[in-house]
Order: sequence, then C-alpha cells, then structure tokens
Amino acid sequence: MEQSARDEILGNLKLTPKKILPPRPERPVLRELSLTREKLIEIFSKNLVQETGIVHRVKDHPEALERLSQIAREEGLKRVMVTTDDVVAPLNLTTWGKENDVRVMTPRDFGNRDSFRDAVFGEADAGVTGADFAVAESGTLGIIHDKDQARLVSLAPILHIAIVPVERVVAVYEQVMEKVFGKKENLPSQFCFITGPSMTADIRGIPFKGMHGPRKVIVILVG
Amino acid sequence: MESVSLFIPCTVDLFLPHIGEATVSLLRRVGVDPIYHQEQTCCGQPAINAGYREQVKKAAKHFIQVFGDDEKVVSPSGSCVGMVKFHYPELLAEEPLWRRRAEELSLRVFELSQYLVDILKVEDVGASFEGKVAYHESCHILRGLGVSEQPKKLIRAVTGTQLVPLNAADACCGFGGEFAIHYPDISESMLKDKAENYLASGADILLLCEPGCLLNIGGFLNRNFPGKKVMHLASFLAQSQETMNNER
Amino acid sequence: MEIKTEQFSEVAKEGMKNAHAHAFLKLRAPLVKTRRETALSTFPDAAAAQAYGAVIREESIARLPELLEEFEKNALANGAKVFWARNANEANQYIVNLAKERGIQYVTKGKSMVTEEIGLNEALEKNDVKAWETDLGEFIIQLLHRPPFHIVGPAINIAIEEVRDLFMEKINLKEPTLDPVRLGYAARIFLRDKFHRVDMGITGVNIAVAETGTIINVENEGNIRFAKSSPRTQVSVMSLEKVVPTLEDALHLVRLLCRNCTGQKLSCYVSMDSGPKKGGEMDGPEELIIVIVDNGRSKIYHDEIAREAMRCIRCGACLNSCPVYQQIGGYAYGWAYSGPMGQVLNPLLLGLERTQDLYRATTLCGSCKSICPVGIDHPRLFLHYRAKDVSGDAALQAKKRPVMERIFFRLYTWAAARRWLWNGGVRIVRPFINKEVHQGVLSKVKGPFGGPFNGWFRSRDLPAMAEKTFHDRWKEKQKAESRKHKTEGRR
Repeated sequence: MEQSARDEILGNLKLTPKKILPPRPERPVLRELSLTREKLIEIFSKNLVQETGIVHRVKDHPEALERLSQIAREEGLKRVMVTTDDVVAPLNLTTWGKENDVRVMTPRDFGNRDSFRDAVFGEADAGVTGADFAVAESGTLGIIHDKDQARLVSLAPILHIAIVPVERVVAVYEQVMEKVFGKKENLPSQFCFITGPSMTADIRGIPFKGMHGPRKVIVILVG
Repeated sequence: MESVSLFIPCTVDLFLPHIGEATVSLLRRVGVDPIYHQEQTCCGQPAINAGYREQVKKAAKHFIQVFGDDEKVVSPSGSCVGMVKFHYPELLAEEPLWRRRAEELSLRVFELSQYLVDILKVEDVGASFEGKVAYHESCHILRGLGVSEQPKKLIRAVTGTQLVPLNAADACCGFGGEFAIHYPDISESMLKDKAENYLASGADILLLCEPGCLLNIGGFLNRNFPGKKVMHLASFLAQSQETMNNER
Repeated sequence: MEIKTEQFSEVAKEGMKNAHAHAFLKLRAPLVKTRRETALSTFPDAAAAQAYGAVIREESIARLPELLEEFEKNALANGAKVFWARNANEANQYIVNLAKERGIQYVTKGKSMVTEEIGLNEALEKNDVKAWETDLGEFIIQLLHRPPFHIVGPAINIAIEEVRDLFMEKINLKEPTLDPVRLGYAARIFLRDKFHRVDMGITGVNIAVAETGTIINVENEGNIRFAKSSPRTQVSVMSLEKVVPTLEDALHLVRLLCRNCTGQKLSCYVSMDSGPKKGGEMDGPEELIIVIVDNGRSKIYHDEIAREAMRCIRCGACLNSCPVYQQIGGYAYGWAYSGPMGQVLNPLLLGLERTQDLYRATTLCGSCKSICPVGIDHPRLFLHYRAKDVSGDAALQAKKRPVMERIFFRLYTWAAARRWLWNGGVRIVRPFINKEVHQGVLSKVKGPFGGPFNGWFRSRDLPAMAEKTFHDRWKEKQKAESRKHKTEGRR
C-alpha cells in the first residue's frame, strides 16, 4: 500500500539520528514587573496610549456607564454590538442603551451566525467587550473567545471599547498563559492579544492606524 | 623584550608590502620584536570562500606548522585572523590532532590593533598628525572579531588628530573578495555610498585595518576621486608616507 | 509563483537603476535599525534574549519529527484537522478540493509566504476560486502582478502615485490622493466587503505550538483575524519547520519576532487557535484545517549545517540590515523569499544549480548573522553551499565549477602550502599582471590573467604587484643586517 504523505515526511525526517543538544541555558529573566497594581496600571496605560489607545479610569460600574455615555456622545454612537461576557453582562447595557438613545445589540439577538455577521459588519458603530487580561508589558488586552465573547465584536466595528476590571491587570504575558492554557483538555478555541488599533505601514513604510480592524481603541479600567 | 610572530596576509605580501613594513616599524617603536617566518604564504581564505575546502587543508596545515609554536601571532588584517580562528578548527574537524592544534593556535592569533590595545596595553604609539581622520569599520574586524574600540583608541591617541564621525561607518565597502569581481555592479554601488560618506565626513584621511578594504576603497578612490586618501592604520601610526602611487 | 532565481544579475541591475527604490531603501535603513534597537532595549539583556531564541529554534529543528507528531496529536485532540502535503501540488490540490467541495467562490488570504512558495493562488484561480490577498502590501502587489519586494513589506517600494493610480483603476477610489491613510481607507472599504461574506479564509502560521496543538498568527492589520472569525472554514498552511516545543517558547519568539520585524513590543494582534469554534460561539470556524507542507525540507533535513536555515521565523531583520539587499531590492532574489533568509532557504528548496547567485552575491559581511534572533549563521551556510558545488552533492543538486577556476585553486592551494612554489608563481605571473602598469598603478590587466578581473578594473585601480614582495624585502633586510653584524664583528 502506498505510503501516506505523513508517513513519508516523518520517515524522511527520522532517517537522521536525533542530534543531542546540551541542556538549555536559563531563560533570560524578564524585567521583573513585581510592582504594585497601581504601578502596573500606569505602565499599561502608558504603553497603550503610545499606540494611540485611549484609557479611562473609573472607580465602579455607575462611573463606567457614565463614561460610556460620554463616549457615546463624543463618538456619535447610534448602534453598538456588545458581548455577553462576565464583565459586560453585569453592566446591563440594554438599559443603558435605552437611557442613552443607543441601540444595543448582542450576538445572540441574531438567530444565526450570518445575520449576526451582517449586523456586526454593517450596523455597529462600535463593539463593546470585556477583557480577560490587561498586560502592562505592552499595553495589551488578552481576550478569551467563547460563546459569550464573539470574535468579530472587537474586530469589525471601527471603534472597540473594552471594559476591564483593574484586578485583571497583570505584568507579563506568562501570567496570562497559565490561566488560559493551563487545562489542556479545554483550551479556548481562540485567544487573542490586542494592542491598540489595527495598523499598517505597507505603503512606503509610512505607518498609520486603522487598516482592517478598529481605528480606535478605548479601554475603561474599572476599580 | 616582547616578541611576536608576524602573519603577513597575501594581499600585503604581494600588493601592499609597505603595510607589512609599517607594521614592523610600528611594533619596534613600541618595544616589540617582530619575527617573520619566511615559510608563510597565505591563510587560504580565497580558497575557502570559493568552496575548495578539501584542497585548502594542506595550506591550513602548513600555516599551523609555520605558526604552531609561536606564543603570539599578529596580523594587520581581521579577515585573515578570522579565517584562522574560526574556520581552521571546523575545516580540520575530521582530523582530531590537527583540529586541536588549530583550536590552540586560534587562541594566540590577534589582529594588530587588538594586540596593541588589549594585549600590550598601549594606545599612544608616539605618532602625530595634524588633521581630521575617519575610520571605516571593516566587517570581519567589527562583526567577526568584535574589534571596534581598539583602532579608535589608537587613533585618538595620535597627537593633533581629530577622529570625525563617518556616516554608515560599519556599512560593507563591497569587497567580499570574489564578490567585487563577479558582482561589480553591486560592489560599485556600495563603494559609491562609502566614498560619498567619506567625502561628506570632512576627513583628510580614511583609515581602516583591512587590506582587502584598502584595495577596494583605495582602488575606487584612486580612479574616481584622485587625491582622496585612504590608509591602513599601521601605515598611519608608523608615520610612513605611502600612497598607492609611490609603491617602490 | 514564477521562479526567477537564475535571472539574479539582470534583475539586480534593474533594481539598482530604479533610483526611486534605491533612494527609498537608503533612507529607510537607518530608521528601521534604530526602531529595532530601541525595541530590543526593552529586554533587560537583548543579546541573551536573542541567544535564547537561537536555543529554542535549534532545539525545534533538532526535534522536528517528534514535535510535529506531538503538535498533530494535540491539534487533532482540539478538534482540528491536519493534512500533510509532500509538495506544492499535493497541498494545492487538497485546498482546491476543500474549496470546490464547499462551493467556495472566493477566499480571503492572510499574508503567507509558504502559500506563495507553493503557488496556491494560481492553483485556486485555475480552478475558478478567486483568492483575495488582504494584507495591504500583498493586495497591492496582487493587483499589480508583481512579486514581493520585501518579505514583511511586499509593496514598500511602490510609489504612492502608483498606488493611487492602481486604486483608482481597480478599486473605485474616487478622489485622487497621495495620503496613505486615505488610500488605506479605500482598501479597507473594498476588502471589508470580502471579509463580510467570505466562507473560507486561508492563513499562514507564524508558530505552531507542539505542547498544545495551537497555531499562532502575528499581524497588525486584522485581516488574519477576519479570516479566522468570519468564515465557516479556516485553512491554515504551515511549512513544517514552524513548530516549537512549548507555549513559553512561542511567547519568547513572538517577543523577538515583533521587535526584530517592525520594532514593536507586540504586533496589534496575536491570535492563538486551538481547534475550531466550540458550540454556542456565534463566529469562528466550524472547521479548522491545518496543512503541513514539506516541499523538499524533509529531504535535506539530514544536512545538519544546511538545515539551520529552517530556524528562520521570517522576521525580515536580515533584509533590513543587508548591504546588498539595500542596493538591489527584493526582486532580484527571484522567489517568495528574498534577502539573506532567501539566500539560505531558496538553495535548499530549489537546488543549488538554479540558485547559484543567491549564495555568491554576498560579501560575507555578517550583518545578517549578527542580528538574527534565531542564530542563523548565514555566511557559514553560503560557504557550505559553495563547498557543495566544489565537492558535489546530488541531494542539493550541486553544480560543477568552471574548469579554469578549479585549476586556479588547485595551483593556489599548492602554492600556499609551499613558499618556494609561491615565490615561483609570483615571479611567473607578475610580468603579465603588471604589463599595463603606470606609475605603480594598474588600471587594467589584459591577456589570459585579465579576463576574469575586468569587473574590478571597470571602476577601480589596483596597486601593481610589488616588484619586491614583503617576503623579498624582509629577506634582503635580514641579509643586510647579518652583513652589517659581520663587518661590525670584525672591527
């Protein structure tokens, strides 16, 4: 029987005896960000602002909603798509929407993925999501995608608003990895690091923000 | 009296012997007695670079024989030193005895400025020159041997001399041995940039530590910018008056 | 994609004549260098970080078969499908069939060098499946029918005027503009429609993590995330060397990749997929299909020196630091991979015979080696390939050297082992070489020794071969010294 491609490829590779390598040296230590949460928040904000992200700090849910109202006014938001994750859900944005004359949609309002897709591409002025992590090292959001955290909400609309409890601010990526990839039997279908708005420099090496993904990212830190 | 064995690259032996002589007089001036083993020829770099590894082994072994017992070997070239240090052990890897001799020798071979500053601990060699100079960082010296501060220290210690910045000092001049001959368009384009940067620096002399670069840049300047000087550091420090045109 | 590696010299010449591109590369080089250095300085010890990258990739390549098996096992456990392709044909056939079976009319593609290597777009288009490149640079060169100029920025050499005209002609740009932001926006609108309705997205893979069966993509624009979110089918193509042992390793490499590639701490989006979407998710692929491409790699894997080229993580830093690339631009390298990384990889995949110039058109300056985050010793590989041409190697399709060269080096190495022969050789050759000498300088060398050296004398002089070599002079001085001592001794 003809050898499968897999067997042929692996067979070729295995013809060579495995080279014995010396044991690995120590992995270089990262700049230990064993800093206070406040310091980490400061570094996170600084890094994100450097990428033209906008960072708001509020102390609780009511203030967060106030800030959201302000943003809605400033950005002229009429329709937003929001996720149903554990940060956004408790905010009860449907009520907020009614109070602020903003139509609030969630992915599951739509019967199927196609109509959700149409809405998030064609109708949403902004996507509002929570985030699982905010990594100080580079001003980066970490988002686990699942049934309450649809992928397109933070990608398709031109504005992405992320609400993040300050307890989720961490120093480096490694701290995220344990939590996300710790259980091998139940890995998230997708995990994303998001650092500021989308960008490109493909035309003459001139960088600008807002290529295919959002052009603007606003993070509201709560706590 | 400290004594070192001279390793004279073939480019110097055949085309730039005055650099060898300058190296000798420079070493003597700082109290070092240079010995020259007359059996030496060439480290074989052109052959290794062209892929003739089997064929060059005998030349490498000859080299090791000639220099094998010397405590220190000093050469006014970085690429040749690099050849001996880094390529010989791998070249002779299949012959453990030769490989070991190559590895031991590699610890005792030095580029000239590296020897003067790091080993002899000398920076002021008693030279003087009123004017501005710029320094071209040859690839094998800078990236191969990690030598960069040493030539500059020697230059700065020369009375009356100002070391001026050179734009893209570490950019390759386009020599690369065979490359200059087989890819002349690209080589010339790189030379043009190097020449432009030299001219823009305001320096009276361009200094370097690599005979290959000297032939390349010197050859280009002589044809296209006659009068613009380029010198090997050894010649500059030895205060010799050579240019390409008074080769005797 | 058409392979033009044998037209290196012609294309290089054209590249240098393009004053526009030439000036652009010259201006760009120091900026890119500074950006990279600044980004690397965020490591407490940048050199150690780079060295560790080399450790990870050396181990990845040394353990390649077992890591691929581990990756496959875990990817399958996550619910992904894995297809192994021996060559371009098998990969393309498979993907075309996937598309046809699903009634796919068009796909959106994220930037993927391996799909350029195998010519996937051409295969799809031949089978009536339109392949839309969606990375802005790839999109531009696709519309222009040009090869990539740089592995990271394939269209960076294209003048803005040309992009404007192109967009006005092809994508409904209404108002002429030279503002890259407005041009980018026009592309956004045009491609957004494609993302909206796409049913099959094709991406490459930056890193495949064996430990978890996860594929990782690094991007700035968001087009890859769209390919992974909008359609029901996601096909991710990886060349087999992309696998690394652990997630921790992957993170380290991602840090290195972003800093070396674009001077960023992290690119805008780093997406990590471990299987297709789960039940209840409103977007994401229902099937995640990973295609592992061999295309010649497993056949040269036995060559422990050459396979070092497989460590490459496609950061492009070597292109940015290469003085030759800076002069000639990316087209001359003739294939999907340009610059020093193309110079070490293309010969392995295409054979030495058709890639001669790629490992010879280098000064061995070592800039590439010095900045490579995974420790590839490009100059050593170039010399390795040249040695293979001399010694012969069927697996690599080595090409025999010209007979004159072989004779020359035979004589040269003999003479280098024997001073007397060296001296003799010099005495014979010198008069021919110095025939046209004028005031100690040669402007040309004619005759049998001249021919090959015309490239030098076109724009350079050479000192005449010394009438007295250093060796001669030393000998004379020794004789003079000893005569002097004898005379002094007698007094």
